[in-house]
Amino acid sequence: MLAMKNVSKIFKTDLVETHALRDFNLEVNEGEFVAVTGPSGSGKTTFLNIAGLLEGFTQGDYFLDGVNISNVSDNKSAAIRNEKIGFIFQGFNLISDLNLAENVEVPLRYRGFNAKERQRRVIEALEQVGLAARMKHLPSQLSGGQQQRVAIARALAGKPRFLLADEPTGNLDSLMARQVMALLENINQAGTTIIMVTHDGDLARRAQRNIQIVDGQVCDFSLYQGQDLSATKEAHQQVNIANKPVAV
Amino acid sequence: MMLHVKPILSSLMRNKTGPLLLLVQIMLSVAIVANASFIIIERLSLMQRDSGVEETQVFTFNLYAFDTDTDIDLDKQRQRDLAAIRRLPEVIDASTINMSPLGGGGSSSTFTVGESQETSQYAPEAPIFYSDEHLVNTLGVKLIEGRNFYADEVITSGGEAPTLVLVTQVFAQKTWGDESPLGQIIYMGEWGDYPVKVIGVIETLQGAWVDREMNDNSLIFNVPMNGAFHKYVVRSDLDNIASLKEIIPALLHQDEPNRVIKGFKTIAEYRQSAYRAHELMATVLGMMVILLLLITSLGLAGLVMFNVGRRTKQIGTRRALGATKGDIVRFFLVENYIICIIGGSLGAILALQLGEQLMQLYSLPILAPIYPLLTFLGLIVLTTIAVIVPAQKAAMISPATATRSV
Repeated sequence: MLAMKNVSKIFKTDLVETHALRDFNLEVNEGEFVAVTGPSGSGKTTFLNIAGLLEGFTQGDYFLDGVNISNVSDNKSAAIRNEKIGFIFQGFNLISDLNLAENVEVPLRYRGFNAKERQRRVIEALEQVGLAARMKHLPSQLSGGQQQRVAIARALAGKPRFLLADEPTGNLDSLMARQVMALLENINQAGTTIIMVTHDGDLARRAQRNIQIVDGQVCDFSLYQGQDLSATKEAHQQVNIANKPVAV
Repeated sequence: MMLHVKPILSSLMRNKTGPLLLLVQIMLSVAIVANASFIIIERLSLMQRDSGVEETQVFTFNLYAFDTDTDIDLDKQRQRDLAAIRRLPEVIDASTINMSPLGGGGSSSTFTVGESQETSQYAPEAPIFYSDEHLVNTLGVKLIEGRNFYADEVITSGGEAPTLVLVTQVFAQKTWGDESPLGQIIYMGEWGDYPVKVIGVIETLQGAWVDREMNDNSLIFNVPMNGAFHKYVVRSDLDNIASLKEIIPALLHQDEPNRVIKGFKTIAEYRQSAYRAHELMATVLGMMVILLLLITSLGLAGLVMFNVGRRTKQIGTRRALGATKGDIVRFFLVENYIICIIGGSLGAILALQLGEQLMQLYSLPILAPIYPLLTFLGLIVLTTIAVIVPAQKAAMISPATATRSV
């Protein structure tokens, strides 16, 4: 479903070239729940931005549903994001001036659905997260966990092929985090592919596959299940020491 | 293409203060700009009215024969002066006149017309010129009906009332409607007193007072002014006027040196003086209009820039959720069009109310609805110009902003 081949992302300033991703290879299959972990600055967010077509990349190929979307136009990227990808952000990113229904409606409006279809999908999505009764409330009238559930409803309303979740529980207490995680698991079980970036090892372990990004490269430890990984991790780190940003 | 008016309106309703202040500013701008533009246009159209006179070729000057105890026959001297001036090769024609067109001061009167005393009524007040058969050619006014005075019809013996008159077509239309004015009688004073016969119609001739409605009603009577003071009117090519200012006093002093000749001024110069206040008002109002529009457009651009800064994350999120760059530009345009349309509509109503008050207080003509309408349309254009640049800047915000901690 999603495949990245030798994807590199280099940020350039006048003095420094920073390799955020280098020769990044990853395949995610339909229906998978993949957790992406890694230390700060390892390239998790860059990977998420590229996977979600929020930013471009310097080299390599990105296939979505078998189609190479490496060089699509800005408008085409927007259409793909709108139709195929659902986003869940760490800070919820709800629009504070709009009520819950209007927030969930935002991507549907950009899709061009008529008012009736929008209303049907908004109610359905808010019911799915248990907040249909509060659709006229403003985000500020909800708790953090509830706001994140609205953000999930917004991501689900467009019936995307996959969800990209950026630290979805990062701003929540442990109870709320568990509730949101349970909701994501339910969504995944209903057939939606989920890629979740997280710092939280416990949450990552609940995913079907755990990918670690270290210094812009994938380290897929699930491939080494049952083996002593310490040597592999060490070897990987040795490789990545050589890949540190260099001054140019 | 969806304009998303409803959520934008909801959002504006939940953040009223900034948009409300801008709305009030737009409302006042439309009201003031519409009325100020109306006054400017009124003033400019007043200033552009045709006086009927060849303004750059015609000049007047004053002659004071202050020693009136001498035996000099002033009327004969006037005729000698005019004959001498007309003989000058640079002069097209010359005459005496009691007031300068657009000069600011002179004579005016009301008259009586009608078949009988019972049916008599007042004709409109009119500026009145006293002169001879040379005035039509000297001023360069166009005789469109009837004829000019003959030389022997001009009354030169002082103290007699006029017998013939040339009327402007405006006076004729106001007095007799579609009836021919030729042969009609106007009475100086009450009906029956001093009848004067209309023998010709002049296309246009303005009197001395540019601010008075009667200024286009001018009449020319067949009696030149007599006495120690004369105002002469001379027509010449523009290039010769400067030299004539030297030549004419020298020439007239040859006949009688004991008199003062001064006050040379073309009708074009009189026009400049007469409309100075109008010009000043039009300039001041014009600057006020420009300033108001500038302040309003800066207000619009400022609010958009503030909103772009405040909504960076929101714009990034909208882009992440599928908004194109065009959607973002449209979002800001629609948001500001809503403010502009509401403020502009209220401003147009306020403009008409204000116009009515000005009409009552300062006797101004009533404000034509086209002015608030045009101001409103102009403001839509201004809104587009003021909003488009910051909106395009907003559209450049990366969708990746949604995942950043800003």
